[in-house]
Amino acid sequence: MREVAVIGCGVTKFGHHWEKDHEDLLVEATYEAISDANVELKDVEAVWCGTFYPSTGISGNVFSDTVKFFGKPISRVENYCATGMDNIRNAAFAVASGAYDLVIAAGVEKLMDAGSRGLPPIEGIFSVGMPYVSAPAMFAMAANRAFKEWGWTREDLALVAVKNHYNGARHPKAHFRSEVTVEKVLKAPIVASPLGVYDCSAVSDGAAAVVLTRPEIARQIVGDDYAVIKAVGMAVETMHPWHRPSESFLSFPATVKAAKMAYKMAGIENPRKELDFGIVHDCFTITELINYQDMQLCKPGEGAELIRKGVTAIDGDFPINPDGGLKSFGHPIAASGVRMVAELTKQVLGKAEGLQVKDAEAGFAHNLGGPYSVATVAIVSRP
Amino acid sequence: MAYISNCSVYLPVWKLSRDEISEETGMPSLGGERAVAHWDEDSITMAVEAARTLEGKFDAVIFASTSPPFRIKQCASLVASALDLPESTFTMDITDSMRAATDALITANEFVDSGRFDRVLVVAADRIPTKPGTLYEQLYGDAAAAIAVEKEGGAKILGYNTSTKPLPGSWMLAGDDTVRDYDMRVDARYGYATSVQQAAMPLFAKLGLSPADIDRIVASAPDPKSYYGLLKAVGARPEEFYFNSVGIAGCAHPLFLLATQIEKTGRILLGGYGEGADVLAIEIEDAMESNVGRMLESRKEISYGEYLYNRGFVGIRDAPDRPSLTKFWRDEKSIIRFYGMRCKNCGTVSYPIQRCCVECGAKDNYEEVRLGDRGRVYTFTIDYLVMPGNYTGDGVHPHGVAVVDLDGGGRVLFEVTDTVRDFEGLECDAEVERTFRLLFEKNNFRYYGWKARLPR
Repeated sequence: MREVAVIGCGVTKFGHHWEKDHEDLLVEATYEAISDANVELKDVEAVWCGTFYPSTGISGNVFSDTVKFFGKPISRVENYCATGMDNIRNAAFAVASGAYDLVIAAGVEKLMDAGSRGLPPIEGIFSVGMPYVSAPAMFAMAANRAFKEWGWTREDLALVAVKNHYNGARHPKAHFRSEVTVEKVLKAPIVASPLGVYDCSAVSDGAAAVVLTRPEIARQIVGDDYAVIKAVGMAVETMHPWHRPSESFLSFPATVKAAKMAYKMAGIENPRKELDFGIVHDCFTITELINYQDMQLCKPGEGAELIRKGVTAIDGDFPINPDGGLKSFGHPIAASGVRMVAELTKQVLGKAEGLQVKDAEAGFAHNLGGPYSVATVAIVSRP
Repeated sequence: MAYISNCSVYLPVWKLSRDEISEETGMPSLGGERAVAHWDEDSITMAVEAARTLEGKFDAVIFASTSPPFRIKQCASLVASALDLPESTFTMDITDSMRAATDALITANEFVDSGRFDRVLVVAADRIPTKPGTLYEQLYGDAAAAIAVEKEGGAKILGYNTSTKPLPGSWMLAGDDTVRDYDMRVDARYGYATSVQQAAMPLFAKLGLSPADIDRIVASAPDPKSYYGLLKAVGARPEEFYFNSVGIAGCAHPLFLLATQIEKTGRILLGGYGEGADVLAIEIEDAMESNVGRMLESRKEISYGEYLYNRGFVGIRDAPDRPSLTKFWRDEKSIIRFYGMRCKNCGTVSYPIQRCCVECGAKDNYEEVRLGDRGRVYTFTIDYLVMPGNYTGDGVHPHGVAVVDLDGGGRVLFEVTDTVRDFEGLECDAEVERTFRLLFEKNNFRYYGWKARLPR
C-alpha cells in the first residue's frame, strides 16, 4: 500500500466515565486530534467512526450529530473488537487511493451505560441451540487447552497482568493506574476458569481519533512531525470456532493471517528483528501470550517463555504493550484500535513520556475481535 | 393383545434426603430419599431421556404426564422430534391425570392389538411442582419411564380393566404453582384399595384367573402406606415401591414399577390410580434387562440449600438475548434432531447444518448426519458471567461449557449440565454424553436442545 501519514492523535482518558456521554468523549478525542494535527474540522473531507454496541450509536450520525459535522461522507464501522483498527484501515486506504486528502478515523464506546458486568450481552448473534458464552469464556477455552498442551499455568498468565499494569500505572490516560502482584492476580475471583478478574481487560468508556493524510501533504502541515502507516492487514475467520473441527484454540488463525498480510505489505521478513515493539490485543492475559506466537515473535508454545524472561517488558528486548494494553489502559471497544495507532505514533515520534520504548522507530498494533474471528494488524513507523 | 418388548427408566442425577428436608422445613421426615430433577429438566426432557435408550423405530408416541410444560401445545411431537422419529409418526398427549400413563399403556395396547400401529412408544414423565415444607415435597419424586409396545416381546399384556370414582384427590388449578389437596385420608380410605379391586376383580373373571394366579402386584398409590395396605388386604406380598429411593413419580410411577419387574418372569398385576384405577395383567415370559439399577446407582446427593438454589434457576435463568422462535423452528433438524453435515468434498463432519462447509467452503454439497451420543472434551471453561450473571443483581450462577469432539465426527459447543457448583471431572479429554434439556426460557417460551454431562 502507499504509505499514509498520521498527523494528529486524540485520546480521552479511558475509564468509568459515569458523568459523561459518548458525545463528550467523541468531542474531546476529535478536537484533540485536529488540534494536534494543526487542521480545522472544516478541512476534513470524510470520516470513519466506529462503535461496536448500537447502544453507543449507529450509522454516520454517531459522528455527524456529535460534532455537528454535516454534509460529508461518514461511515460507521463495526467489526467486533477490531472495529477501531478496521476504521483506520478504511480511512487509510481511502487516503492512499487519492479519493480524499484529509480524513478522520475515530472510535467511541460508552459501556458503563449498559449496567452490565463484563460486556453487555449482544442480541441474537449466536445460534439458538448453543450456549451463550461470555467474552472471557471464549478465551478461557484457549487457556485451558494451552495449559493442557504446553503446561502453561495461571502464574504465567498473571505475569502478563503484572507487566501491563506496571506500564499502565505510568500512563496518565490509562483506566487502571495501579500495579498488581502475581499473588493479587491469582487470588482474584474467577470470571471464567482459569481466568480471574485480573486476567481480564478493563470494561471502559473512551474515545480516540486520528487524522490521516498523505505524506506529501503531511510535510506541508506538520513538517517532520508525523508517523506513517506502512501496512494494515486484516483477516476474518469463523465466529463459531467451537464448531470448526480444525480449530486448535492454541492459535488464532485471523491474527496469523492478518499479521502475514501486514508484514508482507510492509516488506518485513523477521518482525522480531525489523520492528522495535508492539501493541497487541490483550483482552485477556492468555490472548497476549498466544498473540506473541501468532505475531511471529516466537514459536508456538514459547509465548510463556517470553513473559517469564521479561522479553516483552518495557525495558525488554521486544516491549509489548508499553502503554498498559487493554488490560490496564482499558478497552472501550471501538476506540481501542484507534488508540493503539495513536500510541504507536507517539512512540515512534519519541513522545511517549515516561513510557518511551528506547529507540522505537517502528512497531505494530494488533486488534482481535469476537471469538478470535476478526483480526487487524497495522505497522507504523517514522517517515 | 400386544406385547411389551422393552422398558427404560430415567432418574435425574440428584437425590435429596427426606431427613434433610425435614431438618430444613420442620415437616416430619418420611425417610429415605426422593429423586430431584435438575433445573433444566421437566417432563418433556425426562421423557426423551427415558425413551432414547430404547432402540428401534416407533410409528406412534404417547406422552403421559400431569406436569406437561405446555398446554394447548403438544409435547409428544417434541419428544418424537428429539428421538428423530419421522413426521409420519402418530403423536398424542394424555395429561393431567395420575392415570395418564396406564391410560397410555392401555391405548397403546389397543393400537397394536387392532393392527393400527406396529410399535408404540409409551413414555410417561412427571416433575410435580411442590411447595417447600409440604407433605408433597417429600411424597413425590421426579422420574420418567418408557415402554415399547408391539406385536411381540418378552411380556404379554393379557388384558386390562378400569374403574372410576370421583374423589377430591390432589389437584392443581390452571393458575397454581404447586400441587394441593383437601384431605388425602379420604382417598386413602375410600378411594385407592376399593378402586383397584373394583377394576381387578372383573379382569380376573374375564381372564379366567384367580388372585392366586398372580405372582406379583405392583400399583401406584397416593402414598406408599396405601400400597402396602392394599397388598395386606388382598393377602399378597408387597413388592419394592421405590419410595425410599425415588418417591412417587407422579403418573409415571406405575410404568416405573413395571420397569422394575421385567427382569423376572411371572404374571404381574399392574395398577395405576387416580379418581379410579386402571389395572393390567401382564405375563412376563422372557425376562428383560432393565436400567433401573444403573439409574439408581449413578446419582449424586444434593443438599436442601442447593436444591432450592437449583430450582430457583428456572425462573431467572434467562437467555441474555431474544432468540427468534421462527429460527428455533427452522433449525429444528440441528437443534432438536441433532443433525450435522458431512461434506462430500472434504469429508468433514460439522455442526450445525449449513449451506457451505466450515472447513472447505464447498457449497450445497453435503449429506445430513445425526451426530453421536458421546464424545471427548477438547476444551472447556466454567463461565461465571452469563445465563444469568451478566447484570449486577443477577447473582453468580457458574455454568460449564465444553467444546466436544463427538464420536463419529462433529464438534459442538455444549453447556455442561447436572452440576450446580462442583465441576470436578470437567477437563480436557474427559468423556461426556449428550442429554436433552431445557436450554432456557425466553419470550414466555421454553427452548429445548442438547447439553453434555459426565457419563452416567
